[in-house]
Amino acid sequence: MASTELSVVKVYDILLVTVPADPDDETISLLQDKVLKAMETYEAKGLILDISTVLTFDSFFARTIVETAQMFKLMGGRTIIAGMQPDVAITATQLGLTLGNIQTALDVDRALKILANGSDGGYAHDRQT
Amino acid sequence: MGVMPMTDKPEGTVKIESEGDIVAVRKTVREISCECGFEITDVTRIVTAASELARNIYHFAGSGDMLWHILETSESIGIELTFVDRGPGIEDIDKAMELGYTTGKGLGLGLPGAKRLMGELEIQSQLGKGTTVTVRKWLKKLYEQSGAARNNTHITYQ
Repeated sequence: MASTELSVVKVYDILLVTVPADPDDETISLLQDKVLKAMETYEAKGLILDISTVLTFDSFFARTIVETAQMFKLMGGRTIIAGMQPDVAITATQLGLTLGNIQTALDVDRALKILANGSDGGYAHDRQT
Repeated sequence: MGVMPMTDKPEGTVKIESEGDIVAVRKTVREISCECGFEITDVTRIVTAASELARNIYHFAGSGDMLWHILETSESIGIELTFVDRGPGIEDIDKAMELGYTTGKGLGLGLPGAKRLMGELEIQSQLGKGTTVTVRKWLKKLYEQSGAARNNTHITYQ
């Protein structure tokens, strides 16, 4: 059941993963595995983790996501977390979670632009104004 | 009228024996906190705290239970979640409540994080016997009828 819920989509040289709304721990661990294998297969340069449907972002989830981004970086890729919902962001911050140095974007569209432009494409800071 | 719908099902238990049961805990807590009339951010806070505490049981004690209870006073509706296990117990509760303190498996956010998200948290623990963690969150009633709270229309919370 867990494996069918997860798909890693390749768009040019970017991997796009839509994280399920309420994944169990096994699914989250499986996500990490699938992403790294896809990275090896497709020689991707970027990874977008779309968490726009995610309802609960707890410490296990956060740790696995941060780890995945670090592993992906070791393999030469760049990760962007896209689409965190306001209530999830509020809760994660109160819980004490951080995403380390992982780049974030408001949505997948912006994340794609950031990766396509190589740098932050001016998008990483446009929410601060 | 008379009996309020909420008292039909004011309490229950979810067994925590596998990783999948952590998802079951989240699902149950989401349902009951929505039913109480908590707004979406509070629902997310409560579900996230429950997820942390359920995972603590699974990782440190192997198995246990979550008991939920809906509390009601004349002014507030509350949700109370009690996480009970017969695991190894917590050696130093003060340390366990410190942000970033962990015995190795987690980030050390679970207990202090759950307290911040819920507002009220109590721990009882005995070495070799087990641990009971109780968390509570309250929602002020704006109207006499709790139905108004459940409809989630004019809710302000703090």
